[in-house]
Order: sequence, then C-alpha cells, then structure tokens
Amino acid sequence: MKVRINVIVNGEKHHLEVKPNHTLVDVLREELSLTGTKKGCGSGKCGSCTVLMDGRPVNSCLILAPQADGREVVTIEGLAGREPHPLQKAFAEKGAIQCGYCAPGMILTAKALLDVNPNPQEEEIRFAIAGNLCRCTGYSKTVEAIRSCANSSRNNRPSAGRKAYA
Amino acid sequence: MRIRPFEYYTAINQSDVLDKLAKYGPDTKVVAGGTDLVLAMKRKTILPRVVVSLHKVRELDFVREEDSRVCIGALTRHADLAMNTTLNDNFPILCEAVSLIGSWQIRNVATIGGNLCNASPAADSAPPLLALDARVVIASSEGEDEIPLSSFFTGPGATVLKSNQLLKEIVVERPKTRSAGCYLKLMRKKAGDLSLVGVAFQAETDQAGEKLARVAIGLGGVAPTPVRSPETEAMLTGLSYDEAIKEIPEAARAAVRATSPIADIRASADYRRTIVEIYVRRAAEKILGTLFNGEDIQK
Ligand SMILES: Cc1cc2nc3c(=O)[nH]c(=O)nc-3n(C[C@H](O)[C@H](O)[C@H](O)COP(=O)(O)OP(=O)(O)OC[C@H]3O[C@@H](n4cnc5c(N)ncnc54)[C@H](O)[C@@H]3O)c2cc1C
Ligand code: FES
Ligand code: FES
Repeated sequence: MKVRINVIVNGEKHHLEVKPNHTLVDVLREELSLTGTKKGCGSGKCGSCTVLMDGRPVNSCLILAPQADGREVVTIEGLAGREPHPLQKAFAEKGAIQCGYCAPGMILTAKALLDVNPNPQEEEIRFAIAGNLCRCTGYSKTVEAIRSCANSSRNNRPSAGRKAYA
Repeated sequence: MRIRPFEYYTAINQSDVLDKLAKYGPDTKVVAGGTDLVLAMKRKTILPRVVVSLHKVRELDFVREEDSRVCIGALTRHADLAMNTTLNDNFPILCEAVSLIGSWQIRNVATIGGNLCNASPAADSAPPLLALDARVVIASSEGEDEIPLSSFFTGPGATVLKSNQLLKEIVVERPKTRSAGCYLKLMRKKAGDLSLVGVAFQAETDQAGEKLARVAIGLGGVAPTPVRSPETEAMLTGLSYDEAIKEIPEAARAAVRATSPIADIRASADYRRTIVEIYVRRAAEKILGTLFNGEDIQK
C-alpha cells in the first residue's frame, strides 16, 4: 500500500507516493536524497533527525511519512542561500562542530528558536536544544555560537527560562 | 527499527475518525503525534492492522473557555498548551507539567490526548489534570459521554476506551477563589526523560483568603495509574496557613500511603517513596507561600 502526499521541502513542491510504514526521515534521505538530515537513535531521543515542519522543530524519525502531507518541511539543505546561513558560519567559527553529526539538527532547532525569540538568553538556549544531543562539544561552544547570532548578543535581560517559548 | 506494514487512512474530521474506527474494528489504532505509537510500532510492542491518522482533524486542536469551564481538545500539542494564555492564567500547573515533557521537538507534535490515552503511569499531564478534577469527553459513533479523568485509567497502558471510541476533549472547572499549583518532576537527567516521580499540588483558599478550602494532589510514576492522595488532602483542607505549615511533614508522609511504586532499572521503590514525601512537602510549602504570603501570586 502506498499513499500519495503533497509536501513542500525547502521551498519546492513534491508529489510523492510513500509507504505508510516509512517515516519522514526515510523519505527525506531515501526518496529525496537529502542526507543532511541524520538518523541516529530512530526513537525521538537524539534530535539528529530534526527538521522544521511548518516552522517548528520536530523529530522526523517519529513522523509517519503520510503525516507530512500538506506540510512545509525545511531541512539543513534548505537553510543556506548563496552564502551559508549565519548560524552555519557561527557554528564553524566558534568550534561548535567537531564530528558534525548533531549539527544539522542542532542548527535547525537554533534557527527555530531565533525565529520565535531573537534574543535568547543562555538558559533559554539550553532549554531549546535539550532534545539535540551532542557527544563531542560539551555544548558550551554550541550555546556560544547560537548566542552570537542573537540580534543583540550583548543585551542581557533576565531569562524567562522555559516560559520564553515552549 | 523497521515498522511492519499496515493499512493507513487519514481521517478528515471527527465523524470520519469515528466511522473508520467502527468500520475497521479492534486492530485499528489512531495516531495523533505518534511519539508513543510510532515508537511502539518500531519496537513491535503494538502491531496494528490499520492506522488512522488524526493530523488533519483540526477541530480537536483548541483551548476554549465556556462559562465556568475550560475545554482542551485532545489533539492540542504540548508546546501550544504550555504557551496558552487561558491555561497559564487559570491552571499554570498544567502548563508547567507539559512544558517538562520530552524535548521541544516532542512537544511540537505530541498531544495531550495521546499522553492520556497512552496511559503511562508516568504521563506528565495526568497528575495536574487529576488534581484539577478534570473530566474527559469520550466520543463514538453512538454518541458522547463525559466521565471523571480519575475513572479513565485502568492500569499501566490501559484505559476505559473501547476500540471504537475516541478521546475528544478534556474539561476543567475554573477555580472560584485564589488558587495556585505546581508540578515537581524527578528525572534521571535534566531534560528529555520520563518522570520517575511526578507530584502535582493544587490548592485554593476560602473566599476570605484565610483557610485552605481545597487541596488536591496528583501523583505520577508511583502506582499502576496516576493517583490522588485523599488522605493528605483531607489533612490539609480547612487549615489556616500556620496550621497547615505545622501539618505538612505528617501530611507528606501520608502521601506515601497512596502509592505502590515498582522497582525497576531506573529507581528502587524505596527511592520513589522517599521522593514522594519530599516533593509533597516542598510543593506544599511553596504553594502555601504563594497563596498566603503573596510570593509569586498566580490568582
Ligand atoms: C523521546 C521521548 C520523550 C518523552 N518524554 C515524555 C515525558 O517527559 N513525559 C510524558 O508524559 N511523556 C513523554 N513521552 C511520551 C509521549 O511523547 C507523550 O505521551 C505524548 O503526549 C503522546 O502523544 P502523541 O500525540 O504523540 O500520541 P500517539 O503516539 O499518537 O498516541 C498514543 C496512544 O494514544 C492513542 N490516542 C492518541 N490520541 C487519541 C485520542 N484522541 N483518542 C483515543 N486514542 C488516542 C493512540 O492510538 C496511541 O495508542 C516521550 C516520548 C518520547 C519519544
Ligand atoms: S533519530 Fe530521530 S531523534 Fe534520534
Ligand atoms: S559535534 Fe559530534 S555530536 Fe555534536
């Protein structure tokens, strides 16, 4: 059994026939060859499969392929224009990438955070990326890289903690 | 972790879901956010023949105020609940609890209906909803029924829902006097973990603001289903601030008697019991401070 879906991926419309027992990450990697999205644990714990669905970070390993019908998906390949995205530059410059396996997911979560909260404080950043595991960097440089992309990185206001967004 | 093949349908609205549930029979599962079901299908602990997706049933994604009550659609996602102003104004305890579920990625797809229907003893939305005396509306093609949430759970992973029934919405009465509540969750790490123990403490004062008119405690992760602690509640109800502060240590010990925790790889039963006592005490002290000394006033 296959199911027809319409999905916009990185701004491009796709009409696909998907197997319902595949997940969104399978479709991205295997059908669309967008291998920037990683599949680590396959169970919602590591965040390496994070993509933006209708602007929000989600674990693509837990979304059945047909559930992507009618959605707009952004993967790491859709982030850069001609130049790398400022977050991509910041991650490279600040040393927030070592092996890089977590980076696509981490950067997309960071993008979603900055979209809803352009000036996140450290605690807010740490709460937002809690679902993106990194086994290399120890997170300090990750937080620094994200903070450097805030619209006024020197303006310290009290943190709203997890109340800043959910 | 491959998923076994199944027949798949997307429902377009509530009556379509109910028709499909009636038509395809007991081996059918609805999928909301899928954060429990898809994982269970990967692990092959649940192997449905038919899956009906609810992601297009937008009519069940809402928070609505109706006179004295607030209704929450079963398909409302945790991220939206945590940020909802009506809920933050009336029941901040619920917002606090769901904002601690999983990760941001999980909260962006996981629904409150899925959390309740999955019926984990540790489901984080259950203790606050029990403490708020929430009721649930169950729908089938034969009609609707409203029951207390306290009679919804029947055991670990089990509820009263029949295979042709859908959880439609959750209904909570707005507090009539000053109220406050908090949710304390014990995890093995700082984020992204299920509760080892979850304690929801909700209290209201009398009209004069002098005594506790209502105390309700919901406990998660320490019994086959989420439970209340009636003994502790009765010990504190009717007391003034000074009386309640004195009673708290004894009342917190009594809360342990409402539990029957298991020992597993994550924690021993004794540890869970100890934490129940400590968390009930901490939560009670915090909420009494809020209600009577205006620390961090909520209402
Ligand atoms: C990494 C990870 C971390 C998690 N952390 C937590 C946590 O900290 N706290 C916590 O409580 N949970 C946690 N969970 C569990 C899960 O995310 C929640 O229980 C979530 O709310 C389930 O909602 P869903 O919409 O994804 O449910 P689904 O998986 O879609 O459904 C769950 C079950 O309920 C049934 N169902 C769903 N909606 C309805 C309905 N309206 N009527 C009838 N039946 C229905 C389905 O058939 C299925 O059996 C975690 C899960 C993962 C993967
Ligand atoms: S692969 Fe999806 S969360 Fe790990
Ligand atoms: S850089 Fe290796 S996992 Fe993050």
